[in-house]
Amino acid sequence: MPLLNSVYRQREAGKPLVTLDDYRAAGGYQALPKVLAEMDPDDLQYEFMRSGLRGRGGAGFPMGKKASFLPKDSQRPKYVVCNADESEPGTFKDREIMEFNPFQLLEGITLAGYAIGAVRGYIYIRGEYEHQARVLDRAVAEARAAGLLGTGLFKSTFDFDITVYRGAGAYICGEETALLESLEGKRGQPRLKPPFPAVAGLYHSPTLINNVETLAALPPIVEKGADWYAGLGTEKSPGTKIFCVSGHVMRPGNYEIVLGETTLRELIFVHAGGLRPGRRVKAVWVGGSSVPPLGEQHLDTPLDYEALAAAGTMLGSGGCIVMDDSGSVVRTTLRLVTFYRHESCGKCSPCREGTSWMEKLLQRIVDGQAGPDDLEMLKALFGRISGRTLCPLAEGAVGPVRTALELFPDDWADALENGVPVPEPMLPVSS
Amino acid sequence: MADYARVDLDAENQVTFELNGRQVSAPAGTMLVDACYAHGVEVPIFCYEPRIGPPVGACRMCLVEVEGMRGLQTACSTPVRPDMVVRTDSPAAKDGQEGVLEILLMNHPLDCPVCDKGGECPLQDRSFKFGGGKSRFFEGKRHFPKPLELSSRIALDQERCISCFRCVRFSQEVAQDGQLTMQERGVQSQITTFSGDAYEDRFTGNIIDVCPVGALTSIPYRFVARPWDITNTPSVCGLCPVGCNTELTLRDGDVKRVTGRPDPNYEVEEGWLCDVGRWGFDGDGGITRLTRAIVRDANGERHTDLTDAVAAATVALRGASKPVGVLLGATATVEEAAIALELAGGALAGARVARLGIPAAPLAALRATPRAQLDEIERADLVAVVGGDPGLAQPITELRMRKAVLRNGARLVTIGSRPGTLADVATHVHAAPGALTAAVAELAAQIGATGRPVVLWDEAELAAEPAAAEALAEAVSANGATRQIELGADVNGAGLRALGIPATGLLEALEAGELGALLTVRADPRSAPGRVAWEAALEGDVPVVALATHADRTTDAATVVIPVQSLLEQEGTLVSMTGRAQRVRRGAEGPAGAAPGWEVLIALGHHLGAPPAYRTASAALAAAGGRYAGIEGLTYDAMGVGGVELPRPAADHLAADAGPARAAGSDGLALVATRDVYGGREASRAPALAAFHAPAAATVSPATAAALDVTDADTVTLTSPYGAASLPVRIVDGLSDDAVFVTLGTADAAAEALMPPDRGPVRVGVSVEARR
Amino acid sequence: MTADQIREYLEPRRHEFADPRSLVLPALKFAQTGRGYLTREDMEAVAEATGYSASYVESVATFYDRVYTEPVGTRVVSVCVSMSCQLRGADQVWEALCDKEGVDHHHGGTSADGRITVQEAQCLGYCDRAACIQVDAEETQGPHTPDSARALVDELRAAPDPDEYWR
Ligand SMILES: Cc1cc2nc3c(=O)[nH]c(=O)nc-3n(C[C@H](O)[C@H](O)[C@H](O)COP(=O)(O)O)c2cc1C
Ligand code: SF4
Ligand code: FES
Repeated sequence: MPLLNSVYRQREAGKPLVTLDDYRAAGGYQALPKVLAEMDPDDLQYEFMRSGLRGRGGAGFPMGKKASFLPKDSQRPKYVVCNADESEPGTFKDREIMEFNPFQLLEGITLAGYAIGAVRGYIYIRGEYEHQARVLDRAVAEARAAGLLGTGLFKSTFDFDITVYRGAGAYICGEETALLESLEGKRGQPRLKPPFPAVAGLYHSPTLINNVETLAALPPIVEKGADWYAGLGTEKSPGTKIFCVSGHVMRPGNYEIVLGETTLRELIFVHAGGLRPGRRVKAVWVGGSSVPPLGEQHLDTPLDYEALAAAGTMLGSGGCIVMDDSGSVVRTTLRLVTFYRHESCGKCSPCREGTSWMEKLLQRIVDGQAGPDDLEMLKALFGRISGRTLCPLAEGAVGPVRTALELFPDDWADALENGVPVPEPMLPVSS
Repeated sequence: MADYARVDLDAENQVTFELNGRQVSAPAGTMLVDACYAHGVEVPIFCYEPRIGPPVGACRMCLVEVEGMRGLQTACSTPVRPDMVVRTDSPAAKDGQEGVLEILLMNHPLDCPVCDKGGECPLQDRSFKFGGGKSRFFEGKRHFPKPLELSSRIALDQERCISCFRCVRFSQEVAQDGQLTMQERGVQSQITTFSGDAYEDRFTGNIIDVCPVGALTSIPYRFVARPWDITNTPSVCGLCPVGCNTELTLRDGDVKRVTGRPDPNYEVEEGWLCDVGRWGFDGDGGITRLTRAIVRDANGERHTDLTDAVAAATVALRGASKPVGVLLGATATVEEAAIALELAGGALAGARVARLGIPAAPLAALRATPRAQLDEIERADLVAVVGGDPGLAQPITELRMRKAVLRNGARLVTIGSRPGTLADVATHVHAAPGALTAAVAELAAQIGATGRPVVLWDEAELAAEPAAAEALAEAVSANGATRQIELGADVNGAGLRALGIPATGLLEALEAGELGALLTVRADPRSAPGRVAWEAALEGDVPVVALATHADRTTDAATVVIPVQSLLEQEGTLVSMTGRAQRVRRGAEGPAGAAPGWEVLIALGHHLGAPPAYRTASAALAAAGGRYAGIEGLTYDAMGVGGVELPRPAADHLAADAGPARAAGSDGLALVATRDVYGGREASRAPALAAFHAPAAATVSPATAAALDVTDADTVTLTSPYGAASLPVRIVDGLSDDAVFVTLGTADAAAEALMPPDRGPVRVGVSVEARR
Repeated sequence: MTADQIREYLEPRRHEFADPRSLVLPALKFAQTGRGYLTREDMEAVAEATGYSASYVESVATFYDRVYTEPVGTRVVSVCVSMSCQLRGADQVWEALCDKEGVDHHHGGTSADGRITVQEAQCLGYCDRAACIQVDAEETQGPHTPDSARALVDELRAAPDPDEYWR
């Protein structure tokens, strides 16, 4: 199935849309004046709800519904926060939006802001994306100069501005409450929920938090109507979704597909150019490193929320990491757990201690110094961590390991016996 | 248990739910852990500490099953809801608790036998009670350099830390000193200060009490005792008039440690202690402690035993042809004062009894207005401090006020000549010394406009400005909701006043040559405000019998010195500044040559031929309780562990207890004398508090320093109508100009020389003495 | 960096935040542009400029990977070692750079001449250009091989020092 570049308007335009003129020429900033002139905030919220757009940051929660959770009678200012922390291994879609189509994101944030009556939007961008942050800084300045941010937008009574806030290297700040802590100038440690950000978020004010891709999807929804969007894809998974394909494929990159229309096989073999000759798919982490892997037998799964759930994994952030049969599931799993150990914030004990111990056990397995008892201990550890932590980070560490053990028992048995030699990496592919 | 919040099962808004198959109830909003505890079900916790702040849900120790909720819930952060079905002992809940303990022990060293916390360690206890036995995970544990000196008083063993955040939350949110933080992240997270600097502040010791493992331990207590050879006794701190409830750890007849009560007194200290209260006990030993009685006569000075000393004292007192004066110090207990009064009525008939302190009359009306205990501060929407610097003089009140602001959003206003230790959270309304009356009038308007105001007022400063005291009394009573709290100057001042003992009269009688001898009980008039006058009055041949714990100016010159036990060593009752009668208990045995003060007084009664009809402290108190309206019915039983609040004094109580009318005049600079427990005599005796030891100083504002043409390298001579003192200059921002700030109670008693016995108001002349 | 310089940087941003605490992280990042890492004095200056305690400032600083409280080299070269890059030779690139710069293979480190710090990075969001390398925070490039990575540090070593360090 072909790609449909709706969020990636720059691809449709065939060039980066980093100036306001270019973005306007490509159809941008039509939604905002239309909304300000014709719709009241509740109508707009309803439009979002009807579109069926689901959050693209990982959890897939319906965007319009989340917006509706913000209390209408609160005396406190409201905020929109754009989650641009994009640090999930295998995920690099938001980067492309911000780098090449920043105004669509700004327009989307402004639309969301209008829908909830917010006074300001914040883009929390990971510190490593300094280049993209500068693109956003310039875009914000240009939009402000053009009256697209600031007071009385399009002569309405709606005042709204956007602040770009840089993180400083911490994956956990992608978790929404940790993000808010970080944005409040604290250590990025998740908060207890409830209260949820919709009720008490940034500075204890009602706050709407959405992913970059979610917010950038709003202008097209307004331009073409919620019906158009809802008509794409499946009933429960409407619209387009960007998949970031990386790993052992010939054409790694971002691909915006219509949900439900494309299978995993098509994504890998048609869009991403397939594998090296003679190689077969060994494992695929479809939704980023936090989701359970799939095997070759799952390649015909359609890419949408329900089908992927039925296959035992999650759509997640769409960071599709492909590993061919030259790779080692065991070694890759260790790498993944090292990531979570490194990124655990340290606030809650099961995650802080548990990820560290999982890493130690896996390291011994990779080094060929473990016995079958160690596998049992590893499994016991899952139960000690899963469902008992403050935030879902540790779940992301446990799920993939648990599934890797289930799907590839032979690889683990072999590793216990012989350890895991360092595999030959796939040579870099020039683009 | 301090770990769990108090739950009022009789409150109105009860919610009924099922707990382990039983129907129980708790007020709406109660956290499940607390509700469970109130019904006898212990859900283990580590990070939860309701005194520190709202739950953080970090340790995950408190997992329980709640029907209808997915997975296990943290009971510390789940409020009770009607009809919820909770299981704390189901297989799933137990597995959750076991699991977290196993996880916590992964990196925790198993060095309990050498750990100071061993035997009284929540982690150890909960592992036995809720753990699954043996850990199955054998990997190398995390290592940190060990142990570090976090400060001169606290050791930190990073390896034992379970990252419960209690200590850093105490530092950030309770003491708000900003010093202790968590650094790094993940398994590398560690407790530390900025660049590893020492954690020196005024309330630091509390982190030892809240640490649920052996990560934070007291350096003075390191390896001193083991849990199985100690006993613990509840007592009350006798170092300032707040009367914090403490627990004494005893071993071999000695106090080895003072900690906050595991079962705090929420109306007083809420389980917290200032560092002087915690480590000051150290000074009860030390070189100035009196261990043997002294008798001085024509043949010189001899050390002797108690019996001989009491006999010598009897001779001295009986030999007087004129009435005897009995002077009670601020730490004299209610029992001692009551016996002294009884002697004055019999054995020493005609004796004049007085206390070292501030005359009561100017404050009588204010004291008669509705009063509060300290917990009322956190329910107030406006907290006003009139005069003083409570953070230094009545330290624990500071934490309550910080809590009111940070956790409950109260507005805090400090009124007076210096912003003080609350400057970062309070709005400071400047009032120059002597100008409180106008500021009080402004405050009165604000009080009228708020719902639940609490006013804390400084005894010394308001006594020096009777008009302000009167205005404040009116302001407090004008609005039925306002409550006042006295920031007292003297440890047992309220107890002595309750017995009707005045601060005036005795010195005057002595000066007039009307007294034939002086008996002092824990009183050192030669170091007290007005000491120059006292010294002059004692110049003649009036014999002095001094009952004291430590050598001081008075014992150095007394005819008979009888060592008495300290407030850590004997029974007694103290009445706090908020009118709470509380018991101090016998903890340490004290020096063999010392006896309880009350016992010495009873013995004197015997020798003088009019013995009181009791022989124990408790009987002495009970007898007094039958005699004095201020402490009517007071007994040890009535006080129990938490003390009882005495009735407020009537507005005409001690109406005659007034010093001469004093006009401050306008020459020189106003003298502001504050008590600072950290810089006081008791603190300076304790080696553990060395970090606080600082020389006394004459502190002035930068503008005043400029006007006087002095720098902080200079020493100045201060001269008042009452005496003179020489002090180094210190310059501090934010103080009233044209004023000199000095500290009372320092070892050299310099400030006291500048003051009249009733303490003020005073103005001083300043001359530069030496330039360094 | 002095407190005044930091204040001057924060001033135009102050109105964007309802709570001034939000300025702590921007202040840290800005203070770091001066030297490329923070000294004790830098953190004290941030504390002074923002009004929070130095200990608090340090606790925030040490939470984040890209705030350095220990000296680092003139350029910081981050080698992504997460899954996608691992599959495309990140480990080999890492080894090559550690060897070349003579630093510890487990923890990375700074070359003897103080010019280059080699450090592992978690996913940098350039998995489509694996194996990728980031120079400070400003530029991420790939795909890299051991050879191209070695050439990169040679270039960096020869290049003039940056005016500001954004890491
Ligand atoms: C450990 C962790 C990391 C996360 N990282 C990101 C992230 O980098 N970007 C993101 O948009 N959402 C991330 N999320 C999800 C957010 O918490 C949140 O659900 C999301 O921003 C909501 O936006 P959406 O509804 O538009 O997806 C993360 C969640 C967890 C638990
Ligand atoms: S030192 Fe003690 S109180 Fe502080 S976090 Fe560690 S375990 Fe908790
Ligand atoms: S006591 Fe509940 S999470 Fe720590």
